[in-house]
Amino acid sequence: MLQRLLPFLSLIALFVGLSIASPHFLTGINLSSVARQTAVINIMALGMTLVIVAGGIDLSVGAILAFAGFMGTRAMESGLPIAAGMLVGLAAGFFWGLANGLLTVRLRIAPFIVTLGTLGIIRGLTLVYSGGLPVVGLPRGFSFLGEGTLLKLPVVLYLLVLCALVTHIILQYTKLGRYAYAIGSNREAAVYSGIPVGFHTVAVYAISGMLTGLAGMIEASRLMTGQPTAGQGYELQVIAAVVIGGGSLSGGEGSVVGTLIGAFIMGLLANGCDLLGISPYIQQAVIGAVIILAVTFDQLRKRRFEKA
Amino acid sequence: MLLELAAIKKSFNGVCALEDGNLAVQAGEVHLLLGENGAGKSTLMKIAAGMHQPDAGEIRWQGRPVRLRRPAEAASIGVAMVHQESLLAPHLTVAENIFLGREPLKGALLDRRRMERESAALLGEHRFPLQAQWRVERLSPAQKQLVEICRAIHNASSLLIFDEPTSSLSQEETGEVFRIVRTLRERGMGVIYITHRMEELRAVGDRVTILRDGRTVATGDLADFSTEQMIRYMVGREVPTLYERTPLEPGTELLRVELPNASFRVHAGEMVGLAGLMGAGRTELCRVLFGLDPAGDGEVCVEGRPVRIHSPRDAVAAGLAFLTEDRQQTGLALRLPIRTNVTLTYLASLTRAGFLHSRWEARPARALMERLRVRAASIEQWAGRLSGGNQQKIVLAKWLFRQARVFLFDEPTRGIDVAAKAEVFALMDELAHNGAAILMVSSELPELLQVADRILVMRGGRIIKELARPTTQEEVMRYAAVGE
Ligand SMILES: Nc1ncnc2c1ncn2[C@@H]1O[C@H](COP(=O)(O)OP(=O)(O)OP(=O)(O)O)[C@@H](O)[C@H]1O
Ligand SMILES: [Mg+2]
Repeated sequence: MLQRLLPFLSLIALFVGLSIASPHFLTGINLSSVARQTAVINIMALGMTLVIVAGGIDLSVGAILAFAGFMGTRAMESGLPIAAGMLVGLAAGFFWGLANGLLTVRLRIAPFIVTLGTLGIIRGLTLVYSGGLPVVGLPRGFSFLGEGTLLKLPVVLYLLVLCALVTHIILQYTKLGRYAYAIGSNREAAVYSGIPVGFHTVAVYAISGMLTGLAGMIEASRLMTGQPTAGQGYELQVIAAVVIGGGSLSGGEGSVVGTLIGAFIMGLLANGCDLLGISPYIQQAVIGAVIILAVTFDQLRKRRFEKA
Repeated sequence: MLLELAAIKKSFNGVCALEDGNLAVQAGEVHLLLGENGAGKSTLMKIAAGMHQPDAGEIRWQGRPVRLRRPAEAASIGVAMVHQESLLAPHLTVAENIFLGREPLKGALLDRRRMERESAALLGEHRFPLQAQWRVERLSPAQKQLVEICRAIHNASSLLIFDEPTSSLSQEETGEVFRIVRTLRERGMGVIYITHRMEELRAVGDRVTILRDGRTVATGDLADFSTEQMIRYMVGREVPTLYERTPLEPGTELLRVELPNASFRVHAGEMVGLAGLMGAGRTELCRVLFGLDPAGDGEVCVEGRPVRIHSPRDAVAAGLAFLTEDRQQTGLALRLPIRTNVTLTYLASLTRAGFLHSRWEARPARALMERLRVRAASIEQWAGRLSGGNQQKIVLAKWLFRQARVFLFDEPTRGIDVAAKAEVFALMDELAHNGAAILMVSSELPELLQVADRILVMRGGRIIKELARPTTQEEVMRYAAVGE
């Protein structure tokens, strides 16, 4: 029980600790900046939760984010309206998610390998297509997505809540979610139960890809450029968020609430380090240590089960 | 006394598995350990084998208190265990598994040749149909059980614990296990033997200890107990061991199989048994029917219509259900709750407009659990944390929930206790009354003879004989072993 609550308790502790340690922490400006910074990783992590619950993994999400952001902004640059550009970004993410899913299912290759491969492919394609140059000169209205506010709260926060709600409903209240747990827990038993395992595996990757596409558009909107090199190393932060939130890399476990907590822990850590003037070098080390700690708990929980 | 377990207590995450476990085994005796599913038998034995640590109580080895902190410590005093659920390394060979942890060396390198030679000798001595260099992941549960047995006899020097060694073995191998047990006893070793097959008791046992709800409720010489008495100690009430089924008038033809090696029909309300020796092809036939293996030429008709079944999906859609013999590998999602496992096959019945109704889910799961006497903390308990027999009941519940037309049951009662077994047969009878067709594989021939309307005998991958009721064990065995 304590193990289940542990991530939540750490988040609270971190929040309280930072409020005491820094007078700048509990201010509207800072908190909304944390929300904006975290939203990108958070939305990607929601998709990754689906993938990890189903026993998969996607190392290519950082690359997908860059590809989707680039394609979406390129579309806007070439004159398409903002909404259409957004759709292009989402579709680009969806496409690569679909590709990842199909490759693992059809070729029966471990998703770690497949997405390690597509990570390289997508990054390469983005660079070739862009010539390494970012897209600039985006329509001014586009910044509303990443930087705008609605009723005093950042727009991205609404998006995050919406995505979290939808993902939660998918995971807990639809067949897709239930099958994801079943496939992740024991793929063979799922096949023998007559579940369309291939279809649902692909679906999970595709949804994750689409959410990553959305995150890519948010990232582009925040920078007001389409950076072909965006999202370097995000995949690890995203996976870390899921695992800190109780997701198990061996599948069958994970939840939206846990992932949200995990992502916010990572976001607060980064923010806290900034506020307290801790160097970004140490920041990296701290986040690395937190990941190991989280995986240790994952292992402990599993060992407990195996002894049983 | 060789080993004494006194007032052992053990709970898992606050749920009590053992309240007061007592057992004393002497050198040179076969000690039976009986109890319902979830009574705590495996837990008590895992404590003796150093796999679990007791919360309280004492373990004495040859009169002296000991602590067994690891399986290796138990092994070092000569204790070995045949586990109820396979604990073999799937990617290693049979020989490597038999020698696991005690590999012979040649200098710094593994002496692979010697491992294979000695394993082959061991397999040959007991006439187990296995090759030393086969990889374990390809083996059937019965074959894995044989490997477990070989490994344990190879490792044990003073006490051997058998936790349901014969639960998936057919008569021949069971006979060999009995011979092994007697040899060990003659060599002066202690043997603890757990089983739910009541007809085995008198064949091997000297003394008996009975657990109920985590407490030792009786112990003594086997000769002093009648079978009814033992069941009463186990269950707390009378339970019929002989199950009589009145055959129904067969209804319409639900399953018609015309394959090169198997041609038969099953009608609504019928329960047809599939008998044969280990490796006779009973499971393979079920797999083909369920779309897991290619069918080749031939035709399968369900409810009179020819169907093309290429995957379990097609099979389920056509109205088939297949309860597999390996509950841990193909039956259950061990890290998901009982509720989720039970409803997995038929979520469509619990969805409205694409959304699952979790409240609807709880009711059937709970009802089936009560009916099958599943011992669990709640329907939210992980399936993997149930005792072996209770896991088997969840696999049954899962397919009963599907409400299929044609049921393929592969060893449905494997590891299920006497009381629940009667309930399982009653449930199958209900299925038949409601117009389902049942094809049942069981290695426990007496059981098959009791419930089946007809028996199909398989040998060498084909159905060679159909025997109508009444038939006898001898007749079935003659066809299964000799052919004609
Ligand atoms: N790791 C575990 N976590 C939680 N509960 C457990 C665990 N292992 C066993 N139990 C519980 O302990 C009780 C006793 O289990 P045990 O496996 O000893 O039963 P058993 O007598 O061997 O039954 P069976 O005849 O079905 O094999 C059961 O109620 C089971 O649910
Ligand atoms: Mg047991």
